[in-house]
Amino acid sequence: MRGRADRRAGLSRMLGAYRALRRVASPKRLTARPLICHASRDVFPRKEGRARAFAACVCFALCASPAFAKPQRVVSLNLCADELALRLADASVVKSVTWLSQDPRNANLAAKAAALPANDGHAEEALAYDPDLVLVGPFADPASNALLKQVGAPIVEVGAPRTLEGVRRQIRDLAAALGEPQRGEALVAEMDARLARVSVDPHERRPTAMVLQPNGFTVGRGSLADEILTRAGLDNLAARRLDIAADAQVPLEVVASLAPDVLILDRSEERAPSLAEAALDHPAIVALAPRMTVVSLPARLWTCGGPEIAEAVERLAVAAAAARVARATQ
Amino acid sequence: MSARAAGAEIAYGPLVFALAALTLAAAVVSLSLGYARLDLAGAISDAFAGRSTVAAVVLEQIRLPRAALGAVVGFSLGLAGAALQGLLRNPLADPGVIGVSGGAAFGAVVVFYSGLAGAFALAMPLGGVAGAVVAALSLYALVGRGAGTMTLILAGVTVNSFAGALTALALNLSPNPYAAYEIMFWLMGSLADRSLPQLWLAAPLTVAGWALLIASAPALDALTLGEDTAASLGFDLGRLRAQLIAGAALAVGAAVAVTGAIGFVGLVAPHLLRPLVGNRPGRLLLVSGFGGAIVLLVADIVVRLIPVHPELKLGVATALIGAPLLYGLIDRMRKEA
Repeated sequence: MRGRADRRAGLSRMLGAYRALRRVASPKRLTARPLICHASRDVFPRKEGRARAFAACVCFALCASPAFAKPQRVVSLNLCADELALRLADASVVKSVTWLSQDPRNANLAAKAAALPANDGHAEEALAYDPDLVLVGPFADPASNALLKQVGAPIVEVGAPRTLEGVRRQIRDLAAALGEPQRGEALVAEMDARLARVSVDPHERRPTAMVLQPNGFTVGRGSLADEILTRAGLDNLAARRLDIAADAQVPLEVVASLAPDVLILDRSEERAPSLAEAALDHPAIVALAPRMTVVSLPARLWTCGGPEIAEAVERLAVAAAAARVARATQ
Repeated sequence: MSARAAGAEIAYGPLVFALAALTLAAAVVSLSLGYARLDLAGAISDAFAGRSTVAAVVLEQIRLPRAALGAVVGFSLGLAGAALQGLLRNPLADPGVIGVSGGAAFGAVVVFYSGLAGAFALAMPLGGVAGAVVAALSLYALVGRGAGTMTLILAGVTVNSFAGALTALALNLSPNPYAAYEIMFWLMGSLADRSLPQLWLAAPLTVAGWALLIASAPALDALTLGEDTAASLGFDLGRLRAQLIAGAALAVGAAVAVTGAIGFVGLVAPHLLRPLVGNRPGRLLLVSGFGGAIVLLVADIVVRLIPVHPELKLGVATALIGAPLLYGLIDRMRKEA
């Protein structure tokens, strides 16, 4: 009997603490309604199955900002979310971004981000700004998200879209959450206009290509990077020949012996040393460089599914053209 | 000599020759194994003719450094293990177990991630050597002159975990976002995608270390009779200690700077070969070197044959063999005591 009474007392203490926590959050935020996840359907092709669609569902199921009011205190806890928020929202509305987006070697909008207070991506830091919208990434710590939800801070998860259509959808959805739908449309239109200028001749054989990322990773089928390569007129060997799905590590030997026409190195212009990136300077790659078109594509252009992927497509299209010329002269 | 009563002793010369031949065979197997199909004969003829075909590049720039580094690093670890065991008169003194490899990894990490490695070519292996020297000296300060096994193991645990923590700290302080994920490489070691320039960087220092260690053979044999007897036979023990610590630090430090810390090789090789040389620490040196090279080459062949992606770290394979052995060794020593 005593045990049960203790348990009940414990439970009520916990509930009390929970209610106190809820009271701290402003009552307006408690009325937040979830938006349905409209992103999932197009972000993932139907084939990919329900499990993936469900994962993407989290992306907007948590979304809780009233669509009619512009959030006034937006805090972003993820690099990709930082950039979209800085592009879409008024500068005065974004209160804090991650430290990653202040580094010009990682980020596209470093100058803009440097003017804002930085955070390390912890939920606790976000709460310090009394946010009415918190943007989190796809790999955010579930405990952090739970904490944010518990205190009633509306959160929107910015996902990692796997298709161009998913990128457009994500921009529109986030623009809606920020109360800036026109800016979202404008951003999508600008990106599409740049993409439209990259034309691929359907009758010509596509140069073969392979991506080499730090730590020897490459990208295969069903990834945004694969679509970027295809859109730039390249034939991704990892997807077509090796039948790799999404990301996988490939031994350097395999890259060297496939000898693609274009080798795409995912690397930053200049950065502190790491073994991961040292692998891209391996003598075997250097030795084979004369027979390939080697192009460096900084991670900031294609890690996040933002409008900057248009520049990635443009740069790869230039490399594809160079590879065609090289093949013709050989 | 009572040591000869051990029984299984084999003539020294043929034993060394046989182990050297086995090392060569393991290196050839390692060379012929890989992830891409390779016409080995064609690749070799291309390489010798100086044609830089894809096959020749794969052979020369990817497989050759892997096999050669496997042999060099394995030889260093086996030899250093045997030498440290002779110096401390304790069969558990493996560079990995007692923290010399961990110290070397920390030294190399500091030099590499701070960008110092770009300053001059030998900076990184020298960083490894410096870390190994500090670890070896701090260990020797605790356990020198025949302290018990317990003290040795505890001191090793301390040096190892402190070096590991410092390595993790240094990696986390790096501004490169990838650095923090590279702790596995430094603690477990790997030969994957190493390169020829790395071999040329590590080789001179490791070879200098080998020379120092092998030259200490007569003094190590004398040391088995006790320090006083060895001193009365004319061996300068202070010099011997300095020579062994410097030799082990050069060999292990430069090797670890290229491949990360690979544990247990210096424990397994001397343990398996000790009975074959009649328990003479001087003779064990060269033999253990080749034994270490074979162990490491075979472990590296195994990690490539196990269909696990990404590839297993080399230290995982050596620990799977070495840790049970260490357990058994400690158990036996406990019963004998």
